[in-house]
Amino acid sequence: MISLLKVEKITVKYGVIPAIQELEFEVERGQIVALLGANGAGKTTTLKTIMGVLRPVRGRIFYDGKDITFLPAPQRVRLGIALVPEGRGIFNRLTVRENLLLGAYHRRDQEGILQDLEEVYRLFPRLKERENQVAGTLSGGEQQMLAIGRGLMSRPRLMLLDEPSLGLAPLVVRELYALIRRIRENGVTILLVEQSAPMAIGVADYVYVLETGVVKIAGTPQEVESLEEVKKVYLGG
Amino acid sequence: MFSLSYFLQQSMNGIILGCIYALLALGMTVVYGILRLINFAHGALITLGAFFMYFVFFRLGLPFVAALFLVLGFGGAMGLVLDLVAYRKLRGGPEVALLITSLGFYTFIENFTKLIVSPQPYAFKTPEFLATLYRTPYLTFRTVDVFIIFSSLLIMLAFHLFVKRTKLGIAMRATAENLEVANLMGIEVNRVISVAFVLGSAIAAFTGFLWGAKYGQISYDMGFLTGVKAFVAVVVGGVGSIPGAMLGGFVLGLAEILSIAFLPTRFAEYRDGIVFAILILVLLIRPSGIMGIREEVRV
Repeated sequence: MISLLKVEKITVKYGVIPAIQELEFEVERGQIVALLGANGAGKTTTLKTIMGVLRPVRGRIFYDGKDITFLPAPQRVRLGIALVPEGRGIFNRLTVRENLLLGAYHRRDQEGILQDLEEVYRLFPRLKERENQVAGTLSGGEQQMLAIGRGLMSRPRLMLLDEPSLGLAPLVVRELYALIRRIRENGVTILLVEQSAPMAIGVADYVYVLETGVVKIAGTPQEVESLEEVKKVYLGG
Repeated sequence: MFSLSYFLQQSMNGIILGCIYALLALGMTVVYGILRLINFAHGALITLGAFFMYFVFFRLGLPFVAALFLVLGFGGAMGLVLDLVAYRKLRGGPEVALLITSLGFYTFIENFTKLIVSPQPYAFKTPEFLATLYRTPYLTFRTVDVFIIFSSLLIMLAFHLFVKRTKLGIAMRATAENLEVANLMGIEVNRVISVAFVLGSAIAAFTGFLWGAKYGQISYDMGFLTGVKAFVAVVVGGVGSIPGAMLGGFVLGLAEILSIAFLPTRFAEYRDGIVFAILILVLLIRPSGIMGIREEVRV
């Protein structure tokens, strides 16, 4: 079977400076794939390019066998890709409910939307309690839940998570990762970008380590974990 | 020296001018909220709307309601043209490029109007059914005054409901807050921006008619200072806040009329100056406007 996402030798530049170079990797259906790397390794750039916010100067991106390299972001949302951006990207002045409904912006099935809304509220009871509150008043953890909930509202098949644990307390991070597992169990494929590696490696089926825009290491969590280099740099040992 | 009836009379005049500023400010604040563009060309829309109404209603003699809808449609179409021709190509460029372009388009439209109509002001008769005069002990008014207040409130209410309740309205607020993330949500940002231009411009063109019906005179350059003052209303009310823009419009209209009404007559010439003095005062006390959302400082 063809993989859900195939990134084929993409190069993305900011001006003349390449942020990623001939980057190549695949994400299989139903997997959680972790993309690790230090600051400036090109992780966010990669996600933004997959989402269609940035355009590669070279290379191709295939989603479900279809070439989506030149498709604008809103159309990729329709195909089932959702990006939960770094820093969450919550609309602070809109209510929690409005934020969630915007996740389903492209959908027309009113009933399905309301069902999914209830589903998200079941997943995050805190959001239900704060339904009509302006999102800017939520705590960091709640905002991250809202961002993920909003992503789920689009009924994605592929979810891109950009540093979801950034700035969250350890306990909240654990909760978050339990949630990521649950989302995968519901059939959503996940591409996860993190700087803090241990949790991501723990949950992933496959791991890529980026360094200055190229894949440096690739392998299963077990393979990657045992590498001296990874231990030293990413696992703090 | 000043009677209660004089005060009420002038307050009504102030509210009516406030309606006009508020309606214009509505369109300006929405566009500013999304694009950070001070759309000077918005002022030109009231000139175009006023002259368009003059021709379809007085010259062609179309029924009033039909003429009104034509004006709204015409205004909306012009808004779309401005968005597509003037601004779309500049997205992502520096904000000052947008500003200069809007000034350029204002100047173009003003001079084009001058060329086609005349450098002389036109007399704009109040439609007959709006000209009936009512006298009460405290207030003398015409039907047109009531029409302006009610139609303005109706438009503001409708706009408020649109922005608060409809999917497109929510998308518009989302786009104003964070365009990039709105795009990630599958919102076609360019379409939302076009809708903002169309609605704002349709309202502005309608305002042109109100202006003519109330003040009895329209001219090719009526839109400039009015447009600038509408933007002052946006800033006074609080940039980015739609209720703020409306409130700012009323504050400005009332202050402008009441100050000429109650200051010695020799100050009457300074009415425009007074408007800007209010702007400076408000900015000194509340830099983000009366209802402004304070920009959070992020580290």
